[in-house]
Amino acid sequence: MFAISAKNLTKSYDGRIFALNDLNLDIPQGGVFGFLGPNGAGKTTTVKLLTGLLKPTKGECCVLDLAPEKNPCEVHRLCGVMTETARMYGQLTGMQNLVFFAQAFGMSKEACNQRGAELLKELDLWDARDKKLSAYSTGMEQRLSLARALINRPQVLFLDEPTSGLDPESSQAVNALITALAKNTGTTVFLCTHQLRYAQDICSNYGIIEKGSLLAAGDLPTLCKNIGLQIKAGFRLTEGDTLEGFTADNGWWQTEVKTEQDMPQLLKKVIESGHDVFEARLVKPTLEDVYFGYVERQGVLQ
Amino acid sequence: MKFVSSAEQAVVNKDFGEIWNTKMARNTLLALPIIMVVFLPVMYLVMIFFIPADQMNGVDQMLKLLPPEFKSFTVQQSMFYIMTNVVCPMFFLMIPLMASSVTAACSFVGEKERGTIQTLLLTPLSLKSIFKAKVLGCIILSGISTAISFVVYSIVISIGDIILKMPFFLNWNWLVLVLLLAPAITVFGVIFMVLVSGRSKSYMESFQTSGYIVLPIVLLFVGQFTGLFQLNAIILLMIAVGVILVDLILWFLAARSFTPEKLLK
Repeated sequence: MFAISAKNLTKSYDGRIFALNDLNLDIPQGGVFGFLGPNGAGKTTTVKLLTGLLKPTKGECCVLDLAPEKNPCEVHRLCGVMTETARMYGQLTGMQNLVFFAQAFGMSKEACNQRGAELLKELDLWDARDKKLSAYSTGMEQRLSLARALINRPQVLFLDEPTSGLDPESSQAVNALITALAKNTGTTVFLCTHQLRYAQDICSNYGIIEKGSLLAAGDLPTLCKNIGLQIKAGFRLTEGDTLEGFTADNGWWQTEVKTEQDMPQLLKKVIESGHDVFEARLVKPTLEDVYFGYVERQGVLQ
Repeated sequence: MKFVSSAEQAVVNKDFGEIWNTKMARNTLLALPIIMVVFLPVMYLVMIFFIPADQMNGVDQMLKLLPPEFKSFTVQQSMFYIMTNVVCPMFFLMIPLMASSVTAACSFVGEKERGTIQTLLLTPLSLKSIFKAKVLGCIILSGISTAISFVVYSIVISIGDIILKMPFFLNWNWLVLVLLLAPAITVFGVIFMVLVSGRSKSYMESFQTSGYIVLPIVLLFVGQFTGLFQLNAIILLMIAVGVILVDLILWFLAARSFTPEKLLK
């Protein structure tokens, strides 16, 4: 059973422009899936379709084998959803908000208080538990939303830009929590973001979406391979020295290698050919390289 | 089987708090009944008690509205009777109508305006449950406001009756009005606002729209004074049945329009 699957999932709000076009996706259970794309790419629309807030124009989707369109309540019971537009109640305190949403999940009052306290402590909001939400900072509000999404111990967690508006420390704490959650509880996290550096730190698989179309999906090595990005071996030599078959990049002489295992042999060869090597490094393609590689390729194709 | 689940009860309680914390809704729930059932009847009572009838304009016209069986009343008694049975019922009906529309505006449009409806839709509560809990919350709050208003009104008018040595005011008209028409109007106010909520962007905008639903009551008021008709228990009963039928149709339409796609527009 896949945690999330979509088949030809399409959504148009006006019948002319497609916010999401023919999305095909199978995400296995466990791990963090990074759904990457610029603003307006269709990430939020996908989350809304997967959580039953929108009905697809065409195609179908399943979350833990449940169709959100037909069975939204069951999907909500098993999932947690945090989006930028799903706000909480300003006149209630942080604790009251969590207790209310826990009650909406049918939890007993005692369980609501216990789970609320647990999450407030975990997300460093315990001291602000009796403050009204309207007095919270953006970062605190964001963390409380995450706590709300976790209130039912979800099997699948949808996070739409969870770190936008957070300071670096809070972002790091949230990312650590997401990673720990996926690792320790087996929760599948569907993370929508355009912050590629954060995504690379915490995601195990990725999907790249632009203008409603999925450009690629898979783990980083697969994505690199499919776009033709390889690891580069780089050497810093004496000034004025050159290496044949290598390209110069900011004081470094670089060439592509198939795997990391090729490096010792290559280094030996460079030294044996009489070059003085001051530094040697392996440059792996980053998620940013991969992302822009796919986006550029799509631009060329169009 | 419980009529309301614990999760639905939580929504009702949350809505109570939210409505009460909205200044305009709270002011309407408090000030409107005070004006309609205390201030206006007391002012009228003071006026007929202290100002001689021959110094007031339109007394003769007003006395024409008095049913023939009360022709033995003095001028003061007659004027108070007309106030109690012709003018005050219309004032009184404004309470359930305004209370229900303001609470529903706060509960439905306010939730949409504050962006919290999406969060509520992401809970395991079904759309039907959310709709039921929210409508119920508004009806209960408006019902409490109307019931308290009627108790206060009864006290105020009874004092007037004692002072003017008149029989107790409660009659069939009032019974139909309080037990049937007011609840039917409460439901109408809530459901009308739910239907409007799909089109309104803000709580204030929807509340302004609710001004239109006061018009039928104003027409009933004007109709009586122009002599076009005289409201009695039978007519009130017919109006109540009509409003209940409209409520049923609107409930069906409102429940159908209560979908995430429309709410998140």
